[in-house]
Amino acid sequence: MRFLRSHRTLATILVFVLAYVVIKVLSTVPLVGGQPLMNRYYVQLLALVGINIVMTVSLGMVNGFTGQFSIGHAGFMAVGAYTSALITTVWLHVGTSNPWVGYPVFVLAIIAGGVVAAGAGYLVGAPSLRLKGDYLAIVTLSANELIRTVIRVTPVLGGPRGLGGIPRFTNLEVIFVFTIVSVVLMRNYVFSSHGRSMKAVRDSEIAAEASGINTTQQKVLVFVFSAFFAGISGGVFAHLLQFIHPDNFSFVKSLEYLIYLYVGGSMSLSGAIVGPAIFTLLPELLRNLQQWRLVVYPLVLILTMIFRTEGIMGLKEFSFILIPQRQQKGADA
Amino acid sequence: MALLEIEHLTEFFGGLRAVSDFNIRLEHGEIVGLIGPNGAGKTTVFNVITGVYRPTQGTIVFDGQSIVGKKTHQITQLGIARTFQTIRLFSQSSVIDNIKIAYHFRMPYGNMDSFLHTRKYWEGERMVDDYAIDLLRIFHLDQQADNVSGSLPYGAQRRLEIARALATKPKLLILDEPAAGMNPAEADELMTMIRWLRDQFDLTILLIEHQMRVVMGVCERIKVMDFGETICEGVPEYVRNDPRVCEAYLGKGA
Repeated sequence: MRFLRSHRTLATILVFVLAYVVIKVLSTVPLVGGQPLMNRYYVQLLALVGINIVMTVSLGMVNGFTGQFSIGHAGFMAVGAYTSALITTVWLHVGTSNPWVGYPVFVLAIIAGGVVAAGAGYLVGAPSLRLKGDYLAIVTLSANELIRTVIRVTPVLGGPRGLGGIPRFTNLEVIFVFTIVSVVLMRNYVFSSHGRSMKAVRDSEIAAEASGINTTQQKVLVFVFSAFFAGISGGVFAHLLQFIHPDNFSFVKSLEYLIYLYVGGSMSLSGAIVGPAIFTLLPELLRNLQQWRLVVYPLVLILTMIFRTEGIMGLKEFSFILIPQRQQKGADA
Repeated sequence: MALLEIEHLTEFFGGLRAVSDFNIRLEHGEIVGLIGPNGAGKTTVFNVITGVYRPTQGTIVFDGQSIVGKKTHQITQLGIARTFQTIRLFSQSSVIDNIKIAYHFRMPYGNMDSFLHTRKYWEGERMVDDYAIDLLRIFHLDQQADNVSGSLPYGAQRRLEIARALATKPKLLILDEPAAGMNPAEADELMTMIRWLRDQFDLTILLIEHQMRVVMGVCERIKVMDFGETICEGVPEYVRNDPRVCEAYLGKGA
């Protein structure tokens, strides 16, 4: 098969399978006093890492690789979360008791959430991406708050009380498959002719147009794809926490993803993976510091901005991210 | 039939008439120069041809069809490629990616192939790799193919910009001050290259240039502009000896 063509790809797959097995064993086999080493809380933390990685990588497609400035990514997450919860919980009342019915519905529901979020992305992106400059930031910010407000006043979505009783479909397997598949798909896109066009738009929109690229179309497409993945993440998020509230998806949430992205490195997929991983796990590792934890958070951000303005990863990528490129055919001829 | 035919082109910026009643006919295979003092409207003409600005008045017919009102990328896809007065490379992309980007609109695979890396993707990538490296070799840039293009020396960046324009497979190449910042030896090399490119790639070339040596050396026909008006047109010897041209450049004699 194509994707197994290099040993490096094979090694990467093996590492992920191994990681899954280790985590699965640690979280199910009782080791210490009848309790597994990793309790439910740690599994949930890991799930949040996965969700935040997909959110940040999808934001990086727009902000890092295409050079636009979207600051309302949580709005699309909300659209996905509420759409999928509406399908599984309000309309179909599926539960985890019968996984043969539940999981297909769940998968279809989160994909539906992604599609609706992509539609919202098109409505937001199509008019504002035609313009150059900061318009996208203003429009995405307003769209984020608009979506949140609409949810607040919609009774079927729970209104200001939030929507509860969502079945917990998101387990370790779902998180692994969702995170890896999403990141691989976006990685593939970045390493393609379309991905090169995105970077061209970032570097010089005028030159990109003069090179025959329909820059408006490319920007809108990337924005829609990005909203799609944010919608999927929202669906997975809703079925992890089992309760969603409009305020979960406020501008502050969008800001968090921006921080993850720019600390990790906006122009690198690896950075968009490292950033959310650090910021989701760091507060837990620093649990002993109690309220001083909240000081560490901005401190990391400030230090990054001073010493590594391009983020932790800069322009570098982990080798497992990269696609095996051109055989040096004739490059040395 | 002329490859490019512009008639009565006028461009206003608010109340300022940047170009007035500009006419040009480019026959297939010609090398034509557009000269004039700063602010004469040369770059504006280029920007109108490439669709950056819409002409206030006038017609532009390229290869038998009107291109007025078309977007820049559509005009490029029809076969007009350009370089810029100040170099505009995709500076954070590698040298070879700069070429591949210009090939994007010919790429035979779509968005879904990009997401899934299908067989079509791999075929397309292999093809564009070969195409790009062959093109880079012509411009002696193949050794630097994987370097970041922003790190290239100035002369190499100029060459890469021309190579990128050629990667769109144009019929008409328009060069905005290709010899800017070049020393006489580099300019000589450029002149040889421009003529060679015309023959090799079957091009028609329109260029703006301030270095008279280059303009006189390479162009078969020259058009002189001043304050948006065409003041003189003809073969280099004729233009060189025209008093109006001297006046435009040097001012009126006492």
